[in-house]
Amino acid sequence: MTDQLLWYTTRAAGAVSLVLLTAVVILGVLSALRFKAAGWPAFLTTGLHRNVALVTLVFLGLHIVTAVVDPFTNLGWVSAIVPFSSYYRTFWLGLGTIAAELLVAVVVTSLLRGLIGHAAWRVIHWLTYASWPIGVIHGLGTGTDAWSAWFFGVTCACVAAVGFAVVYRLVAGSRDPLAAPRASFRSEVERKSEP
Amino acid sequence: MTRMNHLEEVQSMISARGRAQRLLNTLTAGVAVAAVAGVGAFGYLSAATLPGATSLSTSTISTTSSSGTTSSSSSFGLSSSSGTVRSSSGSGVAVSGGS
Repeated sequence: MTDQLLWYTTRAAGAVSLVLLTAVVILGVLSALRFKAAGWPAFLTTGLHRNVALVTLVFLGLHIVTAVVDPFTNLGWVSAIVPFSSYYRTFWLGLGTIAAELLVAVVVTSLLRGLIGHAAWRVIHWLTYASWPIGVIHGLGTGTDAWSAWFFGVTCACVAAVGFAVVYRLVAGSRDPLAAPRASFRSEVERKSEP
Repeated sequence: MTRMNHLEEVQSMISARGRAQRLLNTLTAGVAVAAVAGVGAFGYLSAATLPGATSLSTSTISTTSSSGTTSSSSSFGLSSSSGTVRSSSGSGVAVSGGS
């Protein structure tokens, strides 16, 4: 594999990872809203959210591995694990390392959800809202193609899509059909536990 | 609701879930294939917009004297320029003497 092919693959896999991560965030928002339609049960959204997140990890791995083994930048494996340890574009690459590690934490804790409990999983899952913008900033800051028309267009589309989804999530509120019974149950338990 | 109707409803729910599961598998495979194609497409765009190649070929420079144009171009694709060369005319001055 030539150095240039590695370089192209790094850039392309980074862009694909951004698109996939954007899809994961949007599907996560739809899952939180219990989205369903005719022929589209709610578990389909959740299942697709999980599967696309796993696919994202594969392409994020491709992005990282091809960047590390590229002899031109000579990043080394440490910079892929320890943020801000790279001599090359230290700050921007450090943001990429943080975004990737947050995503790995979110996916791993989702796979181990049964072991860590729902509350801990939920808190960690909110890190996705940090991982995605950090990844976008990493792409704009360190990306060789950041200001190329095609990559800039892709980034703008992703930002618009996630922005719309987050605003919709905030406006729509919780669609949990059991939200009210849960809230009343919690308040009842708290009331009875008071001395 | 009769027992028969209840069984039909359960069967319907099971088949709907099976259809949704197959749709999930198809969509996941589609996303994976699209992502692979995306790497190819974005890689092509990356190579087209910023190849990172440093090949050098001969540059051409052409100049016309008097009142004409001069132009130059290079294979870097970085710049090409052209401009007008203007000539001046006037009476010559002869210098003589001196030591």
